[in-house]
Amino acid sequence: MNIECSVEKLKRAAQTGERMTGKNLTLPILSSLLLVASGKSLKVRATNLSLGIEVEIPAKVTTEGVLAVRGDTLSQFLSSLDGNQMITLKEVGDTLSLATKESRATIKTFPYEDFPTIPVVDGESFKLPLEKFVSAVKAVSYSGSTSDIKPEIASVYLYTDSSDLVAVATDSFRLAEKRVRISNVPDISGIIVPNKNINEIIRSLDGMSGELSVVFTKNQISFSFDDTYITSRLIDGVFPDYKQIIPKTKTTSVVVLRSELQGALKAATVFTDKFNQITFTVDVARKHFSINAKNTDIGEHTTDIPAALSGEDVTVSLNERYVIDCFQSITADSISIDFLGNSKPVIFKGISDQTFTYLAMPMNR
Amino acid sequence: MLITFGKFSTLTETYYNALTMINTDTASVWNTCLKEIELEVSKANFSTWFRHTSLVKEDAGIITVGVPNEFVRDWLLNKYNKLITKVLLNALENNVRGVEYVIVKHDMKPKTDENGGLSMMSTPSRELPLADLYINKEDNLNPRYTFDSFIVGPFNELGYAAAQAIIARPGQSYNPFFIYGNTGLGKTHLIQAIGNTIKIKHPAKKVHYITLEKFAMDYINAVHNNKANTFKEKYRKYDVLIIDDIQFISKMEKTQEELFHLFNAFYENGKQIVFSSDKHPNYITGLEARLHSRFSQGMIVDISEPDFESRVAILRAKAANHQNFITPEIISAIAESVEGNIRELEGSLNSVVCHAELKGRVPSIADVKNLLKNNVRPKKNVSVAEVVKIVAGFYSIEENLIYDKTRRKEIVKARQMIMYILREMFNVSYPLIGQKLGGKDHTTVIHSCEKIKNDLKHDPTIVSELEQLKIMFK
Repeated sequence: MNIECSVEKLKRAAQTGERMTGKNLTLPILSSLLLVASGKSLKVRATNLSLGIEVEIPAKVTTEGVLAVRGDTLSQFLSSLDGNQMITLKEVGDTLSLATKESRATIKTFPYEDFPTIPVVDGESFKLPLEKFVSAVKAVSYSGSTSDIKPEIASVYLYTDSSDLVAVATDSFRLAEKRVRISNVPDISGIIVPNKNINEIIRSLDGMSGELSVVFTKNQISFSFDDTYITSRLIDGVFPDYKQIIPKTKTTSVVVLRSELQGALKAATVFTDKFNQITFTVDVARKHFSINAKNTDIGEHTTDIPAALSGEDVTVSLNERYVIDCFQSITADSISIDFLGNSKPVIFKGISDQTFTYLAMPMNR
Repeated sequence: MLITFGKFSTLTETYYNALTMINTDTASVWNTCLKEIELEVSKANFSTWFRHTSLVKEDAGIITVGVPNEFVRDWLLNKYNKLITKVLLNALENNVRGVEYVIVKHDMKPKTDENGGLSMMSTPSRELPLADLYINKEDNLNPRYTFDSFIVGPFNELGYAAAQAIIARPGQSYNPFFIYGNTGLGKTHLIQAIGNTIKIKHPAKKVHYITLEKFAMDYINAVHNNKANTFKEKYRKYDVLIIDDIQFISKMEKTQEELFHLFNAFYENGKQIVFSSDKHPNYITGLEARLHSRFSQGMIVDISEPDFESRVAILRAKAANHQNFITPEIISAIAESVEGNIRELEGSLNSVVCHAELKGRVPSIADVKNLLKNNVRPKKNVSVAEVVKIVAGFYSIEENLIYDKTRRKEIVKARQMIMYILREMFNVSYPLIGQKLGGKDHTTVIHSCEKIKNDLKHDPTIVSELEQLKIMFK
């Protein structure tokens, strides 16, 4: 192999690819990036057998060839280089030699024959604006479970509802649902993408714009964008029927300014106990909405927040971290909080934003 | 608190059907194939690509191999197809026309046991009930306990009637309502049903159910956090308070005091209080006199053990969901062999149902009897010496004095009581009683029994002593 390409592009490809290399020791080749030079391009490939990625970058190919090098070595070396220059990659014996104007390096190569192929998904396909997909997944993915015991909920669930793409994630203590309006999408009854994988996918797509094409079958999904192809396995399972736990009626509704709620929560953080418990109290008659946190070892704190209140008096204890989490997905200035009664779930929404719903379960102590 | 979802069915019918087609033969074929492949490829490759594979089916020479995901499928197809075909040809004596790969869910792979055969896969046939999750967090009541599922028999009709009166006019008819009886006779069911029904009939009334243990914990926490006042307010705002297992209050002095004040507040405002206990208030040790008298102020009702007919009725109601397996004969067999405790009755029924479901047929009466042998508590057999020991202990006198010829008043009384108990509760013959208690004549025994019988008519202390002793023999 003997090629020349831009450092900038190779750097991005290597860094994105490196994150998807396999870190397990059973098959050491999985920690490598496979470089394939042919025609007028260089393909950088990586996989951990759950996720796979291929990034194609333009290159001046003098001699075609294939080789595998350690992903972390290559990406760390490239990240130290200035992007606005060209780099030559040349295979010398069992090493890869890299050279820019000022710096040179050689990296040991591995036999590439054992490098797995990346599945090409052949199934239903649709296209959608990349930003919409990224925003939908980002709005919910933090709510997914981090444990692998129930793979169905350590995932983001995607389905279509008339002309909305709906993304849902829950770890059974809270649940986030985001809808984005898209057109020309086939009926998707439900895809469950593992959380780990979709977070990597979103990271590699974040900040870009354009059209994302998606292909999926029962077991596999692929995303192609520009020069990048990513594929992930899917969870073959049933996502819990979450709609039944989103209540239709509310007893109390509160509207507060986002900044004031955030400020009050910040103060409450200082006083929460080890379970992060805070208590919301609504006293409609006295027009009080207050947040209280108490730790027998530290002290106690209460903030009254100016709010528009209606309904019945209510007191609910919540995990503060779950409340704070939802701010990243609510962009509106005002937040509406719906209560369903004492010690019942609480629903957070941005005012005038029906696309995002966040439900937090009460703490029971 | 967890979000709980009603259904978590993960098994896809098709896979299950496909998997059941495998016989031990093909599974062991694949095991030998794997052993051969293991020799051909490196260890790393084997464990990455072959460890989670299985043979799904063999159909007219087309072998289907199950793999965990698409990466593995592609790789086996591209790289190892030849090898796999070769070893399969060897193993199946050229009976192979092609190999296909399908993705099988990870946990769906047939597990092989030590002998290389397929072990039975356990599939949950039915959703398990999540009873605990249905408890209403506000009033702690379990909606499952209603009067619809409450069987009324002679053993509990008084309690039932009183409960109905309370529901009609909470706080006015019988306040407090104190119900006692042995464990597993339906006290909790009855008092929770009172709460649930009051909730429906008088929606404005705030009902709260709590076990004494929780009440005490709540009190301790309140004191610990300097919130004794909030504790008082919290309980005073309810209209109906139901406290279960009140007997545990013995020795909790401060909790007793708090309960005393709470009781007064409730009683004065005409709010209903319901208690349950496993003993009559007289026998709750360490109960302060002022609480004791207050417990006795309203209505004290006991629930005794169900008679045979009631047991049959209870079993019939409980077996309503399993009618395929449980015949009336089985029900009467269970009712005959299990006496007393309703919980044990239910346990025995459950084990019969479980047995029947496992076997998939209606069990015979012999089967049922056999099963129940392990479940049923043997009937208590008390020896004379034991009765003597318990009664002597009760009156705090030395055991051997009973057998002596002494005529000291307190010993005579204990001795007569022993005779009466042996005769009335255990049906021992007069001569035998006399013989066992130091060679007394049977007429002495008859006289003793008559004397106690007479005393019982006008001496309340003897009555209460006998009551207490009876409990000790249960």
